[in-house]
Amino acid sequence: MTTATKGEARRVVPGQPDMWAFVLFEGLVFTSYFAVYVVRRTLSHDLFLQSQAHLDLRVGVFNTLVLLVSSWSVARSVQAAREGAYRRALAHLWTTMLFGLVFLVSKVHEWAGAIAEGFGFTADEFFSFYYFLTGIHFLHLLIGFVFLGVAARELASPARRSQELVETCATYWHTIDFLWVLIFALLYVMR
Amino acid sequence: MSRRGEKRLTVVWLALAAITLAQLAVGSLGDAQPPAPNAALTTSAIVIALVKVRVIIREFMEVRHAPALLCRLTDLWVVVTGVSLLGAYFVGMALAAR
Amino acid sequence: MTHHDDKRELWIGWWTLVVFYNLYGLLFFVIARTQPPPSPSLDAAAIAEWFDARRYGLLYGYAIVSIVGGATAIMNAMLACSIRRMSVSRAFAYSYLVIYALATLPGMLIMGVACTVGAMRPDRDPALLHWLYDFAFLSFEGTMGVFLIGSLVWMAAVLLDRNGVFPKWFGYLNLCNALTEVVVAPAWIFKRGVFAWDGAIAWWINMAVFVTYTTVFLTLLRRMIEREDFGTGPLPALATGRARELAGTPGAVR
Repeated sequence: MTTATKGEARRVVPGQPDMWAFVLFEGLVFTSYFAVYVVRRTLSHDLFLQSQAHLDLRVGVFNTLVLLVSSWSVARSVQAAREGAYRRALAHLWTTMLFGLVFLVSKVHEWAGAIAEGFGFTADEFFSFYYFLTGIHFLHLLIGFVFLGVAARELASPARRSQELVETCATYWHTIDFLWVLIFALLYVMR
Repeated sequence: MSRRGEKRLTVVWLALAAITLAQLAVGSLGDAQPPAPNAALTTSAIVIALVKVRVIIREFMEVRHAPALLCRLTDLWVVVTGVSLLGAYFVGMALAAR
Repeated sequence: MTHHDDKRELWIGWWTLVVFYNLYGLLFFVIARTQPPPSPSLDAAAIAEWFDARRYGLLYGYAIVSIVGGATAIMNAMLACSIRRMSVSRAFAYSYLVIYALATLPGMLIMGVACTVGAMRPDRDPALLHWLYDFAFLSFEGTMGVFLIGSLVWMAAVLLDRNGVFPKWFGYLNLCNALTEVVVAPAWIFKRGVFAWDGAIAWWINMAVFVTYTTVFLTLLRRMIEREDFGTGPLPALATGRARELAGTPGAVR
């Protein structure tokens, strides 16, 4: 890890270091939310288990796969931009947005389904956490679209095309992806 | 270099997707009997999630090529998260059992 | 030509901020003891006891708040000035000023009035006390909309600024702070648990973020004042040791 391997130049921070400060800080905030969830869960594990059974694991898996694709495509976009292939980079960015949108629609659909069955925000403690965690994540995702928009704007015109800015926006998007990976494990998989 | 880079990203995605699908299979195991806390399932869920997170950070977010400080800080967050969540779970379950 | 004396007003402003925040913490947490907040699930009898236990703290504490509260004007002016120093439109500074001026109502005054009204007459009807209690805490903990938008305004200004007044990571920290305001919204719905106004998520974690945020911007403001050159272009980087010494002496070349 310390010696440069064939083809690797010097080590550079991807995008603005500022964004990484945000990622780490927000990561800590989410870790604290997750820890509170786990603690509350162990205090009422039967209730949480019963309510959790109403979630569909397959939907969770689908959501995870969708965001993983969006992460893959934004990473491809960054790579393409780095090589100067801006049209391809922009195409990958649209793919990212598309999959992001698929996630949003899927989430709203899942919420609507749960509410229709009577499991709203105040139904019980598990569902409060479910809506809270997926909700705050959803909000982060919406903000992610702003960052993707900034990246798209950069890539669109030869006058801009700041590689650092594109990477910064990608860093934000990946954060939403990996936060979901954890939310998925905690809400859908853990018992 | 670019072809290798592209291929690497795709391989990474396939690995992450495969792990996720495996979680679908394993997760369904917990549904057969009446729901009961399952420490093994929970531990594996959290650990696997953190492995995926670390892969995303190192590969997709390119921390692999980043200065050592960033590598260590992101690894530190992964460790802190793992310790907090697993700690909260096991301590909580132990207290709940009393 | 030294700018050291010109900065005197800025330093007065900055120290006002520091003193005020510390006083605010002392008054709310130690004297009035309204923070950390009590539970929304207390019944009328318990709430009457709560007021009783804090009667003099509330009355004297908020009497002091009512006297020094105006310092928030200086605080907000300082922050608006920092935004004016940026390359972005003045509209950002003005929006921020208006929002935070309004924010003193839910962020300080309404709770003060509600609590002192409650504490003023020991024989007040418990049902009324219950009402005042809810009014005080919902207005204080729950009305985060002003702070949300205010943080977003400051965030946008910092991210768009080309004068480097604040580092970009502070812009992102504003985003974190803004999001915590959203996290507090469930406090309007829950009377117990982690999402209630006294909950682990709605209060404790939020407070940790808020304290971090406040400490950070106080430090950054200090650095901004040290760097201030009273121009309109990029703010110069902080001069190091010897250069700073030289800059302080009259007649020295900067």
